[in-house]
Amino acid sequence: MPSSKLHRATVLHHRPAGRGYYRLVLRAPALASASAPGHFVMLRVSENLDPLLARPFGISSVIAKRSLELYYRVVGRGTTLLTAVGPGRELTVTGPLGNGFPAPSKGITPLLVAGGSGFPPLLYFAARYGKQSRLFAGSRDKECLPPLSAMKDFRSRVKAVHYATEDGSRGTCGFVTDSLAEYLSGPARDDRPVMYACGPHAMLAAVSRLAAEHAVPCYVSMEERMACGLGVCMGCSIAMKAGGYKRACKEGPVFDSREIEWGGQVTLKVGR
Amino acid sequence: MAKKLTNIPDLTIDLAGIRLKNPVLTASGTFGYGEEYADIVDLNRLGGVIVKGISLKPINGNPPPRIWETPSGMLNAIGLENPGVDVFLRDKLPFLRNYDTAVIVNIFGYSLEEYVGVAERLDGVPGVSGLEVNISCPNVKAGGIVFGTNSKAAFELLAAVRKATRLPVIAKLSPNVTDITEFAKAARDAGCDGLSLINTLLGMSIDVRSRRPRLANCTGGLSGPAIRPVAVRMVWQAAKAVSLPLIGMGGIMTAEDALEFILAGATAVAVGTANFVNPRATVDVAEGIGEFLRQQGIGSVRELVGQVRTA
Repeated sequence: MPSSKLHRATVLHHRPAGRGYYRLVLRAPALASASAPGHFVMLRVSENLDPLLARPFGISSVIAKRSLELYYRVVGRGTTLLTAVGPGRELTVTGPLGNGFPAPSKGITPLLVAGGSGFPPLLYFAARYGKQSRLFAGSRDKECLPPLSAMKDFRSRVKAVHYATEDGSRGTCGFVTDSLAEYLSGPARDDRPVMYACGPHAMLAAVSRLAAEHAVPCYVSMEERMACGLGVCMGCSIAMKAGGYKRACKEGPVFDSREIEWGGQVTLKVGR
Repeated sequence: MAKKLTNIPDLTIDLAGIRLKNPVLTASGTFGYGEEYADIVDLNRLGGVIVKGISLKPINGNPPPRIWETPSGMLNAIGLENPGVDVFLRDKLPFLRNYDTAVIVNIFGYSLEEYVGVAERLDGVPGVSGLEVNISCPNVKAGGIVFGTNSKAAFELLAAVRKATRLPVIAKLSPNVTDITEFAKAARDAGCDGLSLINTLLGMSIDVRSRRPRLANCTGGLSGPAIRPVAVRMVWQAAKAVSLPLIGMGGIMTAEDALEFILAGATAVAVGTANFVNPRATVDVAEGIGEFLRQQGIGSVRELVGQVRTA
């Protein structure tokens, strides 16, 4: 019976991680060993029919080749219900899904650009390819930055961390793209930088513009509302510059930023 | 042991001349072209696959956001995005031919001529068992629903498609009408071999803070368990009005849900939105129907069609 993508996962650890985030660790060996940075999973928060659909979550780490680590923020009914799922419970998970980040070629400096709650796939990227990376983490204020446990992992995996908050409560005051622009124009700029970004649409559009201005390759991981995650509902389609749409779940979620028609993106709050 | 073997219930059905190993199909637009689910579901165990709607030319679909979750359901306004009939025949159909399952091709167009054009292209193609004619998509302005909510237009369209192909023709009806029997009769009179019902119910959801519709298209089609009672009622009404075989669909999540449709008068059922929620839903439903028949001591699923006790 083929069933390589459908798994029952056991909750090993599930606790608030601070700053409004939860850290969820699921034991799912087949899923974990098949995963790569940039992949995501569809997780059903309950076996009930309301809420009906599974939710997409980016994988933030694979632990001991057997377990998946997920970080999420409580933003809607689905994630609120998920918080009540305790250790020992089994959840239905489909994955790993999506294309993942392209493996960086030798000699480049990955610039990981994380906006708000978009950091998880970049944390996984940092674990696999992090040594030469710089993290640029930005958010509205200090309380919306990645939780301390995630920041600790980032610091141990990358060579430098740059913070930016819009209210100046942590790091540079302003947008993450401001500190990124300063770095790219400044003396500290490394050889052959390549951007890997995940976060709100508006931030990704700005990162994409910046990448074009500085002629830096840029990969963006798109977070979209999706029903199936398997490429059939066509709900997560993203407008392409060349015309037409591509599916975030199948051709994505990682795209070369030049492919995307940023003006065609409608930015709505993601209510999960 | 020998006794047990004789107790294996018969799940085979004849649907408008198409022989199916069990009554469970995939609802169009919820299972792609089969390939997307092939590593989760053994396609050989399905009665058939009704593929995502195909038009004469490729269609890009609607701008996002295209979906929104609602209580026990979801709204979608995909806009019939598809690669067109030529790409379907070249890239999609060959994969499905590898499996022992019926392939029913859902077709649509923006004009009568386009419907006829797709039907003609698919006539005589090996591996295609039948056509499901979508006259009921609520998400495209020119196509689908225009034919689906005017019984005279539906009759003319379906009669033209009927003439264009030797394949069994199944009309997929819209629930967004006052009297479903009027459309069931129009499809019968046009020479259709079967009916699929129901397509999605037209709906809308609004973000009260931004005061904007949740979908870029403003309105969308509602599917999922929320619509099931409406669907069962319409299948029951249509079954009483015409003697054509029916494919019942609308929020089927389990075998018991499917059996409701069969008792209401459906010969076969299609599993739709459930594929998003539980990718194995189709085989779970098929197995569950077999199990129910065994428990009830019923020899064939055909014995249950239309057997709701209303007297």
